[in-house]
Amino acid sequence: MSKHITEWLSAYLDGELRGNQLHQVETHLVECHVCRAELGSLEKLSGLLHEVPAPEFTPPERFAAQVKLRLPHERTFISRTQMIEIGWLMIPVGLLGAWVFISTSFVLGNILATANNLGLLSSISGWLAFGPSSDIYLSATLGQAGILGGNGLNWAEATETFTRMSLPHISLQISIALLYLSWIAIWWTRHTHQQHGQLLEG
Amino acid sequence: MTLAVINETELVIRAQNGERNAFNELIRIYAQGVMNVIYRMCGDAQIAEDAAQETFIQAWLHLSSYRLQTSLRSWLYRIAVNAATDILRKEKRILPNALEDLQLKDPQPGPEAILSQGERTALVQKAILSLPDISRAVLVLREYEEMSYHEIADALDIPIGTVMSRLNYARKLLKDKLEQKLFLQVEAENV
Repeated sequence: MSKHITEWLSAYLDGELRGNQLHQVETHLVECHVCRAELGSLEKLSGLLHEVPAPEFTPPERFAAQVKLRLPHERTFISRTQMIEIGWLMIPVGLLGAWVFISTSFVLGNILATANNLGLLSSISGWLAFGPSSDIYLSATLGQAGILGGNGLNWAEATETFTRMSLPHISLQISIALLYLSWIAIWWTRHTHQQHGQLLEG
Repeated sequence: MTLAVINETELVIRAQNGERNAFNELIRIYAQGVMNVIYRMCGDAQIAEDAAQETFIQAWLHLSSYRLQTSLRSWLYRIAVNAATDILRKEKRILPNALEDLQLKDPQPGPEAILSQGERTALVQKAILSLPDISRAVLVLREYEEMSYHEIADALDIPIGTVMSRLNYARKLLKDKLEQKLFLQVEAENV
């Protein structure tokens, strides 16, 4: 006879064994009277345990009312779910704010630069540190070195000005637009998923 | 839509958002189970109700830490078992000196030693209360709340293997304590 399987009998009694393990225990029980007796004892024990009645507790409605009275009133917490939801909804607001800030900065920068070029800000240009040379110093250097001249120099200056002044601005705006579109795509996916879930529940 | 048909998840979300009526509904659903678990752990109905109230207050205060993917019953029972264990630690008087109490006057079972139903249940109750807390918790959740090993593992935050070994241990201890008197009586009644 194989070794006794008493350590598995509790799990067998509770219906927690599956597959091969269940088969092994069942096979063993057929041939082993010791383990059968042990299983019988466990069944009797379970029967005895269920003979112990539970007392009459306060009915759930009254109990719930009693607990409600004791619940702290000052609890005005924001749950983690709420925090995540609020953070999620703040993303487009933040992106919009960033876009407004960048656009305003760019427009103001252009206005000030134009005013400075027209000599309208001569009194404060030193303080603002405007100057075309700071924007196109590479082209100017190449021009002074005689490497570029005429139309080539003009093109180089225009390209450098665009690269230094407009490209970062455009890149930032494209990044913000991409983030915003991603947010809309995720929101739409979640929304569709929730609607699908509600339909299934319904 | 009435409250009865709103599912548990919705109630939990609403309660997490601070809605007391939703939490009240959850209390109504789980009050009996929580009181029962604590009573089986400590053996005193009044103390079980007090501890159950404390359990739900703690649940309310920490509801934001509850994850919706897990079983609310397991989560509440974990708090309940902890509350019961705390009470047992504070009020040792609840526990009888079970081993001594279980020794009946006549160690040899005979017709004169047949126990009344009341005596029998008292004896079984004392035997349960004499178990170590950790084994008793597993036994209570399995026998009285009919939780699966997986649910018990979740509720007590222990591996399933530990659930099995604690349950084996608890049943073996109970069998040893009750076998001599009660098992024979049960057999005699069944003849």
